[in-house]
Amino acid sequence: MAGSGMEMPPTGGFNFDLCRRNAMLEKEGFKHPRVRKTGTTIVGVVYKDGVVLGADTRATEGDIVCDKNCEKIHYIAPNIYCCGAGTSADTENVTAMVSSQLELHRYATGRQSRVVTAMTLLKSHLFRYQGYVSAALVLGGYDVTGPHLHTKEEAMEMVANAIKAGIFNDLGSGSNVDLCIITKDGKEYLRNYEMPNPRTYVKKNGYVFSRGHTAVLTSSVRRLRERVEVIESDAMEE
Amino acid sequence: MSILSYNGGAIVAMVGKNCFAIASDRRFGVQLQTIATDFQRIFKIHDRLYIGLSGLGTDVQTLYQRLQFRHKLYRLREERDMKPKTFASLVSGILYEKRFGPYFCEPVIAGLDDDGKPFICTTDLLGAKQFSSDFVVSGTSSESLYGACESMFRPDMEPEDLFETISQALLSSVDRDCLSGWGGIVYIVTPDEVITRTLKGRMD
Amino acid sequence: MGDSQYSFSLTTFSPSGQLVQIEHALNAVAAGATSLGIKASNGVVIATEKKLPSILVDEQSVRKISVLSKNIGVVYSGMGPDSRVLVSKSRKQAQQYFRLYEEPIPIAQLVREIAAVMQEFTQSGGVRPFGVSLLVAGYDSSGPQLYQVDPSGSYFAWKASAIGKNTANAKTFLEKRYTEDMELEDAVHTAILTLKEGFEGQISGSNIEIGIVGADHQFRVLTPAEVDDYLAEVE
Repeated sequence: MAGSGMEMPPTGGFNFDLCRRNAMLEKEGFKHPRVRKTGTTIVGVVYKDGVVLGADTRATEGDIVCDKNCEKIHYIAPNIYCCGAGTSADTENVTAMVSSQLELHRYATGRQSRVVTAMTLLKSHLFRYQGYVSAALVLGGYDVTGPHLHTKEEAMEMVANAIKAGIFNDLGSGSNVDLCIITKDGKEYLRNYEMPNPRTYVKKNGYVFSRGHTAVLTSSVRRLRERVEVIESDAMEE
Repeated sequence: MSILSYNGGAIVAMVGKNCFAIASDRRFGVQLQTIATDFQRIFKIHDRLYIGLSGLGTDVQTLYQRLQFRHKLYRLREERDMKPKTFASLVSGILYEKRFGPYFCEPVIAGLDDDGKPFICTTDLLGAKQFSSDFVVSGTSSESLYGACESMFRPDMEPEDLFETISQALLSSVDRDCLSGWGGIVYIVTPDEVITRTLKGRMD
Repeated sequence: MGDSQYSFSLTTFSPSGQLVQIEHALNAVAAGATSLGIKASNGVVIATEKKLPSILVDEQSVRKISVLSKNIGVVYSGMGPDSRVLVSKSRKQAQQYFRLYEEPIPIAQLVREIAAVMQEFTQSGGVRPFGVSLLVAGYDSSGPQLYQVDPSGSYFAWKASAIGKNTANAKTFLEKRYTEDMELEDAVHTAILTLKEGFEGQISGSNIEIGIVGADHQFRVLTPAEVDDYLAEVE
């Protein structure tokens, strides 16, 4: 459809159309806006039967917390997960892209994915973009080559403690602890494994504004469904 | 100054009981000068799906046109409307495609899915999605909106109560922001009807 | 020059309005092993003969039913190598759709994409049509579905269909056996019986292949042992 003037859905790859305009704006003194980041504490530990991944759940935009309970342990393959730190958009997209490539690879080979394969795909993408795709990742999984060390409980405790160290001592990290344990039999995703930071202020009934409190200039209603009215009547009038 | 605050603007969406509300201010300014007080930042994608776009006005309109085009193409191809979650992925994809030369827009997506459950979501200008079960905010008043929503929001509000809460959250937040305000518009969407109301706000 | 002066170029119609290469492609399909599919009330089954050129071939290495995405599978009749091109293109298409919408591709959409590729190969320069017909089976939010795609790029939804050798006989058999409320288990039995009709030699788990998708939305190819169990049931 090239040249027809009609814009077709993208087939992949980045688009640089707006770069010149944006560079011009930046030269005029408009700073590049803040993007959503995961300040982030992420950890992975290998133990006897598998691996334990852990992450906090805070997402920030500059110094504002924009998500108090986000998910940073991303799906890569049924036996592989990946913790992501850095620019949220990059960690989300890089992991989704690699999980897609690995699924195709599994169809082609008929085998379980290996952690090194995922790692190689991730690093070649990140290297290609020379650090401009800013994702720092902890990749963990169980494959034919297996893992080693510690017991599961030790590993879970160690990971949770490491994440809590980040939650309490790093301002970019916060809220809850997520864990993901991967063994040869499958995965166990423990979302909000620990919640050491409950809301401090909860007003039971909240603020209640009486109806009609807000000054309204105009009001209109559009019905999406026809209201069906049942009209009672005597059966079969002659 | 960031280009995201060049034109000003505030958007908020909240979840109620089997309904949602999405609201924005109506100011269109060029830095500190107000140009118009009837600017549209919330757009209908289909009967049960709305998107609010905060940020640079020109990108708001371009992005809306692209999204509407993509939704119409989808509807012709698949003979159905997009689910809110599907649409959020599309928005995220379109934004991430321009990772290195982004649109200066932060969208808020709000809709009812097939079984009438409300869905709200926001992304940053690179398309990093954030789902929420209570409220999402975006725009130059986002910091005060966070505060207002955090204290005013209650779960499972009926449409009329949701209207009051979102309106008060919006109005009190834009009053603390020079770049947004000058009236507001609220859409309350239930499975049966859409209520559209324009709000009286401070005009200073 | 061959059987017709209109067979040298794909993009040339014969005076009677036919694209002769497509007719030839259909002949290649008709010469291929029989494949069939049946849509049941709670799932879809596709099955095919797996005829090997010699007993020396390792039958485990030959796979004719492919998984396209979690809930969609395909079987072909005709030229194996051609089918693999389509399978890999379709898998990629399914992934691309998922990356964009974070939602599995609906069967109708994937079939339309496959058919578009097949059509393109009847009109482009320097290529020939695919020598395969496909039966695509899947289960999504609009229920169980079975589609047939032909080399011309045309496609239809079927309750039950057969492609390849002995199509006419197989279809007659299916017409007699098919019922609307048939369940997946019965459909597998019917599929086996239909294959048996035109089968030369002894049928077994290693010389036929069966793929099923049920209400769990998971497409899978049955193992030879599972096929043997079904064979024992219909005996």
